[in-house]
Amino acid sequence: MNKTIIININGIVFHIEEDAYEILKNYMTDVKRHFMNSADSLEITTDIENRIAEMFSEILERENKQVIVEHDVSQVIEQMGSVADFENADDTGKSGPYNYSTEGRRLFRDPDDHLVAGVCAGIANYFDIDAVWVRLAFALFLPVGGTGLLLYIILWIVIPKAVTRADRMAMKGEKQNLQGFKKNLEDELSSVRQNISNFGDEARPFVYKARDFTGDFFHHLGIFLGGAGRLFVKMLGVFILICCLSLTVFLIVALVALLAFGQFAPFHDLPFNLIRHSHAELLYISAFLAAFIPLLSIIFLTLKGVFNTGSVSRSTGSTILVIWLCSLCIFIYYTAQIALNFKESAQFSENISLKPVNGNTYYLKLNDVKYFSKQDSIRLNIKGLAPGVKITEDPYEYNDFNHFNYRRVHINIEKSDVSQPVLVETFKAKGRSYDDALLNVRNTKYRFVQQDSVLKFDYRLYADRDDLWHDEELYITLKVPLNALVVIDDKLNDMIQGQSIYECKQVDKKENLPYATFIMTNNGLQCKIDTVVTAKKDSVKTAKADTTVAQE
Amino acid sequence: MIVENTQTQMRKGILEYCILSIIAKGETYASDIIAELKKAQLLVVEGTLYPLLTRLKNNGLLTYNWVESTSGPPRKYYILSDEGRSVLHQLDKTWEELAFAVQTAIGERKQ
Repeated sequence: MNKTIIININGIVFHIEEDAYEILKNYMTDVKRHFMNSADSLEITTDIENRIAEMFSEILERENKQVIVEHDVSQVIEQMGSVADFENADDTGKSGPYNYSTEGRRLFRDPDDHLVAGVCAGIANYFDIDAVWVRLAFALFLPVGGTGLLLYIILWIVIPKAVTRADRMAMKGEKQNLQGFKKNLEDELSSVRQNISNFGDEARPFVYKARDFTGDFFHHLGIFLGGAGRLFVKMLGVFILICCLSLTVFLIVALVALLAFGQFAPFHDLPFNLIRHSHAELLYISAFLAAFIPLLSIIFLTLKGVFNTGSVSRSTGSTILVIWLCSLCIFIYYTAQIALNFKESAQFSENISLKPVNGNTYYLKLNDVKYFSKQDSIRLNIKGLAPGVKITEDPYEYNDFNHFNYRRVHINIEKSDVSQPVLVETFKAKGRSYDDALLNVRNTKYRFVQQDSVLKFDYRLYADRDDLWHDEELYITLKVPLNALVVIDDKLNDMIQGQSIYECKQVDKKENLPYATFIMTNNGLQCKIDTVVTAKKDSVKTAKADTTVAQE
Repeated sequence: MIVENTQTQMRKGILEYCILSIIAKGETYASDIIAELKKAQLLVVEGTLYPLLTRLKNNGLLTYNWVESTSGPPRKYYILSDEGRSVLHQLDKTWEELAFAVQTAIGERKQ
């Protein structure tokens, strides 16, 4: 079953199948275009149309049917001859008094006067100026980011080549109303031109050969680029689609994970420690939409532009645009709110007097005891654990290195002016206003423990579990008297400012010890190097033994 | 290439002469002309004939009459004009001369 179309050829009505009609229409367009520049074009095409109508009638009558099919059309075209056949016969026309009447000029590439593909000469013909100026303009634009070259290639692809004599005349806007005179003149001119070009061929064969070669080269390059370009665009489209689709999958997975498990997210990790859980879902969804909708549009644009499939209606498009703008606004609003939380900063310092230490030696260690609030203890049933069990917190053991950058503690060791050791704790935090910041500072807790000569430091500040991160930091300054020995545990390495425990151990040749020994001098803390160490192996052992004893 | 060119040139000259000769027999329809030309292997497709006929008509060698057709649109039947008849007469003479010239040239070669 096929769709038929009713056509009218010079007053006679035919039923024709759609496919057949397409072929016939294309054929007649070609024929009309071929005879377009002839004065008798209307008469010739009418004759041809009439004859086609007659042949159709004959076919319908002979085969006793009512609809013209594709086969009939191709049969008729075969009998009538293709445009290529007409072109062969056109040579006949050349010698005869063919009338070309052209209204205005048409843009063609000039094959007679070309350096590369005849684009410049064609433009020059169109505007009736000397081709030299057009070429000069292109040459001038060539260095400007290659725009000249790009433009030339585009024009080369877009502008058709003047193939037939009619094309050439249309290109030059020649009219031939006064047949005889013009014809003679034209023939004379063309013969003169022929002579000139012959002369040129003889005089400058190399130049012309080179020109033809470059012309051919660029012609083939053009064909190649046309094909390769389309392939490249397709490949680029596929690449973009794959990227966008994988990003989309990632976004969806991330959104689902956040919505489902957001409240269990590690509270000390960025960015979860910035977002209040009450707002979190809205923020996640708006962020998702703000990222997802542009991805979706890129996918659709690629589909439409490269593969010419898929389209979105105008109303759907505008709805999606509005949704996108809303979610973007929400996202920006919350981001701004979060950023505002870091506007002001506040700090306060606290002096803690240390108990005097015998022997002027201080042992700095990591406080690895985990403290629980009363509620936590009840909730987790700490007391129900077997007696003697101690819950410790050692970031090195759990490789929980994220903690080091979270509510950090920095320890500085300085010389004390008095004979007593002093500890100064400086808390810092940020907030929306100074008051807020100060409240945030006060909200933090830090535990420092002195057990005789052993000073134990927590590795981070604590705040209520539910509280957001406010860039809290603690700067501890330990002031020890002159000549005091400071033995610092390995585990404090990241907290100690201005000293490297591992470097000191290396200098001291005691890499295997879990601590390093420093001494307070007038110039500040220095690594204490045992001079005995360099002497003999035996003495090293004794030195080691001594230290161990001292430590205990 | 040269051979082809010569062949086209020869045919081209003869073609108009042949068309005029065919039409000289009386009122002729385009497809009848084509049929004869096909027999003589001068033209193969019908489409090329129409520009030629139009040209000959515009030069005053031909005229045509519209004749109603039982199948399809009215047909153009071509006839020679007086001028056409005299041109044909001249062409007859030229052809005889040419034929003689060619015959002589070929005949000498073939012997």
